[in-house]
Amino acid sequence: MRRLVKDALARHGMSALAALPGLLVLVIVLGLFLKSRAILAVQPLSRLVFGTSWHPLRGEFGLLPFISGTVWVTVTALALAVPVSILTAIYLSEFAPRAVREGARPVVDVLAGLPSVVFGVWGVLVVVPFVGRFLAPLFGVASSGYSVLAAGIVLAIMIFPTVIHISLEVFASIPLSLREASLSLGATRWETVRHVVLRKGSQGILAASALGFSRAFGETMAVLMVAGNVPAVPKSLFDPGYPLPALIANNYGEMMSVPRYDSALMLAALVLLAVVLFFNVLARRILVRAERRSR
Amino acid sequence: MRKTTVFTSILITALAASAVAGPGPGPARPAGVPELKGRLSLSGAWALYPLALKWAEEFQKLHPGVRIDVQAGGAGKGVADALAGVVDIGMLSRDIAPAETARGAVAVAVAKDAVVPTISRENPFLADILRRGLKRSEFAAIWIAQTLRSWDELFGRRPDRPIHVYTRSDACGAAETWAAFLGKRQEDLNGIGVYGDPGVADAVKRDPLGVGFNNINFAYDAKTKRPVEGLEVCPIDLDGNGSLDPRERVYATRGDIIKAIAADVYPSPPARELFFVLKGKPSAPALVEFLKWTLTGGQALVPDAGYLPLGKERLAQGLSAIGGADTPR
Repeated sequence: MRRLVKDALARHGMSALAALPGLLVLVIVLGLFLKSRAILAVQPLSRLVFGTSWHPLRGEFGLLPFISGTVWVTVTALALAVPVSILTAIYLSEFAPRAVREGARPVVDVLAGLPSVVFGVWGVLVVVPFVGRFLAPLFGVASSGYSVLAAGIVLAIMIFPTVIHISLEVFASIPLSLREASLSLGATRWETVRHVVLRKGSQGILAASALGFSRAFGETMAVLMVAGNVPAVPKSLFDPGYPLPALIANNYGEMMSVPRYDSALMLAALVLLAVVLFFNVLARRILVRAERRSR
Repeated sequence: MRKTTVFTSILITALAASAVAGPGPGPARPAGVPELKGRLSLSGAWALYPLALKWAEEFQKLHPGVRIDVQAGGAGKGVADALAGVVDIGMLSRDIAPAETARGAVAVAVAKDAVVPTISRENPFLADILRRGLKRSEFAAIWIAQTLRSWDELFGRRPDRPIHVYTRSDACGAAETWAAFLGKRQEDLNGIGVYGDPGVADAVKRDPLGVGFNNINFAYDAKTKRPVEGLEVCPIDLDGNGSLDPRERVYATRGDIIKAIAADVYPSPPARELFFVLKGKPSAPALVEFLKWTLTGGQALVPDAGYLPLGKERLAQGLSAIGGADTPR
């Protein structure tokens, strides 16, 4: 009898603990929603999300510049990071000698562990002048360097490790026998990569990119330091942008001094969370499907 | 009321004098007073950060049992943190907003400094700018109306050298004060938003066509007392007569600009008071003691750190606000 009670206790205790992280997300979403109700009560959601004017003192809380800033920066980062990361992962998993592969892993992981402010400082010192003095004149544009492109480059370097790491896992999960079969039919290594490894791992790569996207979408400090933070919808890569996380981090201090400001910031956080959650779930589902199919 | 004010001002003068003339770093704690213990945390304005560090260092020498952590993050963060109870003292470099007072924030003025416009030393028009200065209306045209877009419009030479305008991205006193000088608020300032005071200084330094604004302690080097290497303070043509008169040439060293603020030659804003923000009246002994000390003995450190000490009346107001004017036990 005692043993059965203990068993039940353990089971329920652990399931409660397991439910905690999930509940936490719900609590956060709920909290953000309750906080942002004050602003939703006076302005329709569409006006908030599609409004382009950000003047809190005049009661104008258009979030579009920030949402589009986030999208610009994230897409730039992905466009730069995904091809490079995947080619790196292919090299490491298919071509590199064992020693190189084993040696590269810790290096990639160290890159993943660097605090984002380090990337930010490095971005200000290297990437911003590079964009402002070299890339912009090359394209005949005047830019101070604080731009969507600078933020995209810094972010791309930050998400390399995530995408490389997951892609490596994906490639490792592809059975060796498939590669052997392809090679035995006379295919070269590159052909094997293209027709077997990439095809088999395509969904995993998608998932890796989606996780990279989530990481990029929410990254704050490094982006904030190089993006330029001008609340206007960017029109080119060389324009400054103002992503959502930077908005929240920069203005967290003002929220006590202007009415409804805190509420607007909470709404921004809610939008951010919703997008990141969406992509996380998407990536998860793709990964699960890929795993199921590979079995 | 009048009596306590007179009394405190005597007390302050005495304390300040003893701090100046006192036997240096030796702890001057009277025997029998229990040693202070505790942790204090400060966060907020970049403008106050160097002074707060200095104060923390000295106060910890006087009271080895007290640990003080100082963090910079912009004035807004200071108030928000103080009101949220995350830190004991928020550092604020603008006037406190009514909405913040309504939430229980108490602001105590602790020193004075100023915001100055800055340009790169490599600005192609440096000589002209230093000779002529820029008028308030021209600054407004650069930051607010965006009608003045190139340096050449100012000095009429070869066209096509745009002004790269920088502002602060974080909610901060420097931007609020600079905007107040131009008759607006921080959100009305246009320009590339850079994080933090050192960030703006760095961006302007490296951009020959850039113009920004900094607290004097980030525009001037603490050691040499001259503008930070690579940076130049952009003079303000205060009377707007199109040239920089001798009395408007107050930017050569940190000492000069401080003198100009004290003499009201340099206007307020962009000169302004700096505040410690508390959530309600303080009660923790270490906190009360630290606040009292910054308004008394600690004021002796203010000029050396690159700030203006406050007048006696202002200090006495501060002391009564924190409850420091009550009879000493």
